[in-house]
Amino acid sequence: MAPHPIFAKQAQKAKGFCTALLAITALVATTHAALAAPRHAPAPAPATAPSFTAEQADHGAQIYAGTCAMCHGAALEGAHDMPPLRGLFVARWANTPLNKLYAYITHAMPLMAPGTLPPQDNIDIMAFLLRENGTEPGHTPLPADENRLAQMVFPAPNALPPVKAAPPGKAPRTR
Amino acid sequence: MKRRNLFAASLAAGALAAGRKSWASVPEAAQAMGRTAPPGTVPPLTPARVHADQIMDIKVCLRPFRPAGPRLEIEPVADKIVVHNYGHGGSGWSLSWGSAAMAVERAAPLMEKRVAVIGCGIIGLTTAITAQRAGMNVTIYARDMLPHTRSVRANGSWTPDSRIALITAATPDFAATWERMARYSWQTYREYLGLPGNPVDFRDNYILSDTPPDEADHTEPAPDISKGSYASTGMPQSEAEFAKYGDRIKDIIPAAELLAGADNPFPVAYARRKPIMIYNFGAFGHALLSDFYQAGGRIEIREFHSPSEVADLPERVVFNCTGYAARDLWGDKSLIPVRGQTAWLPPQPAANYGVRYKGAAMLSKSDGLMVQGVNLSGLGELEGVGNSMEQPNRAEAEQAVAVFEDLFSRFRPRRG
Ligand SMILES: Cc1cc2nc3c(=O)[nH]c(=O)nc-3n(C[C@H](O)[C@H](O)[C@H](O)COP(=O)(O)OP(=O)(O)OC[C@H]3O[C@@H](n4cnc5c(N)ncnc54)[C@H](O)[C@@H]3O)c2cc1C
Ligand code: HEC
Repeated sequence: MAPHPIFAKQAQKAKGFCTALLAITALVATTHAALAAPRHAPAPAPATAPSFTAEQADHGAQIYAGTCAMCHGAALEGAHDMPPLRGLFVARWANTPLNKLYAYITHAMPLMAPGTLPPQDNIDIMAFLLRENGTEPGHTPLPADENRLAQMVFPAPNALPPVKAAPPGKAPRTR
Repeated sequence: MKRRNLFAASLAAGALAAGRKSWASVPEAAQAMGRTAPPGTVPPLTPARVHADQIMDIKVCLRPFRPAGPRLEIEPVADKIVVHNYGHGGSGWSLSWGSAAMAVERAAPLMEKRVAVIGCGIIGLTTAITAQRAGMNVTIYARDMLPHTRSVRANGSWTPDSRIALITAATPDFAATWERMARYSWQTYREYLGLPGNPVDFRDNYILSDTPPDEADHTEPAPDISKGSYASTGMPQSEAEFAKYGDRIKDIIPAAELLAGADNPFPVAYARRKPIMIYNFGAFGHALLSDFYQAGGRIEIREFHSPSEVADLPERVVFNCTGYAARDLWGDKSLIPVRGQTAWLPPQPAANYGVRYKGAAMLSKSDGLMVQGVNLSGLGELEGVGNSMEQPNRAEAEQAVAVFEDLFSRFRPRRG
């Protein structure tokens, strides 16, 4: 497969350390959209994709900055002895029902005073975590309802598209 | 008088709030810090035997210096995602784990279980192991295994901001990125302390000077404006152009302390002692490879001739850890070679320390006594910049050795 034109454009755009840091999420997202595009028809959003509003994420960002950032880092980057809430975090939680993440945050965090945040704050923090990890906000708020959260999973919007199984009898592609 | 004040201030900066008190003399200063051992209790130091006829190997290396700092970007190539991790200048060993963690963090949301790492230097190996620790199955593809890489031609100690970036070329947020890298690396390296064979260890490093150290520390030579700068010439032209970030992590890095009077075992007026972290290449390389294999890693010897060849790999996510070689392989002309050379003498475990004196460094490691000209020319960080001559220079090695031959010939049994 020849490189999709969008690769070259994005790669150029991402020249330089700083630009790249800022552009990576966008770049990867676009890249996968591009990778996936020729292979799959635009799929309807799966029923399990969570929705949340920008207002929720903004409010969550405020709570995060005041209550969580001291440990998990202002940019959710974590540290040697502290789990990040981006990057590896996605790999750890992807495809897990959201009620489990909600339960964890509600029962275990913030570490020094677990369970002290009101439910709506925890929901908004989840909206913030979803946004920071590449899910776009929408119009429907994330519900503060564990049964409904159980129907949604933590998305991995930057995951590479699934590998198509090679048709039987054909050797794996080489160049 | 002015000189003394400066000296006291440089001392105080290490351990006490600067400017709080200025001392009249060195012993007084050391006493005020509460660090002078009672006379006669300081164990004697075994002199090192450093002679040119003991040289067993001379190694030359090019530091992969990138004015903007290491490249940690994602780049799509063919139908692969390449995660770059190269260009660590004179800090590759020190920053390796932190840089690896950042590269893996960028790759993690791609959700790919099977990944490739190109390169088996210190950056490639630590990236591979960090990826394994994040649950990935890793294959390393490299032209050379660690013992033949540039990484083992280094000095191998904790120098996290040595030729790592230029102030004008690095983005403002690089300082924070660097700090994160350095802290993460430091903590990861501690996991390897105290293991059999001492892959990672500490040495007391003695920084010696015939003149008050504050003179060297505080008088930056004024940059020669006629030479221009990186912005006008594409090459750094003065030491002041190199970014220094060490102060950001001084809360976790053991400080240098002044040795006064009977505490100073050297025939030199001024001595400071600083415990430094070192990497014993043989033991550490072995520990890394064992870790990698035990976690199911695979290594395939293979040379790439252009970026498009990554298309042949079965893995869809590829970490590019090719160091200075990325200049040609990936066409990254921003990589500037910074030549450096180390001479190796047989190991001398009885003289288990390091010394820095007159622009030369000596470091006792488990795989040899290393001697390096770090600033013989007086050019400081500019020494070797733009020089890609990767052939040994015997005369330079002997010049560095001579510094220590002279020093130890003046060594006298300890007083009191
Ligand atoms: C004299 C000197 C002293 C130094 N001292 C220190 C120090 O005390 N502390 C410190 O932190 N740093 C130090 N450094 C810096 C440090 O050595 C480097 O930053 C580091 O080694 C870079 O490692 P790397 O893994 O990126 O590159 P390398 O060690 O060069 O490894 C590159 C790997 O990529 C492979 N490769 C390259 N091209 C290809 C290709 N085309 N196809 C397949 N494989 C390929 C190679 O075979 C190799 O396995 C020093 C450097 C020098 C020169
Ligand atoms: C005092 C430090 C501290 C604070 C404050 C804190 N956390 Fe944590 N958090 C931790 C530690 C430590 C862990 C790992 C816990 C463990 O392994 O048992 C963790 C784990 C997590 C995890 C799971 C990470 C994973 O990869 O599985 C999430 C999610 C989380 N925290 C969210 C939050 C949120 C949201 C807040 C703010 C409301 C917060 N934390 C505040 C220290 C803290």
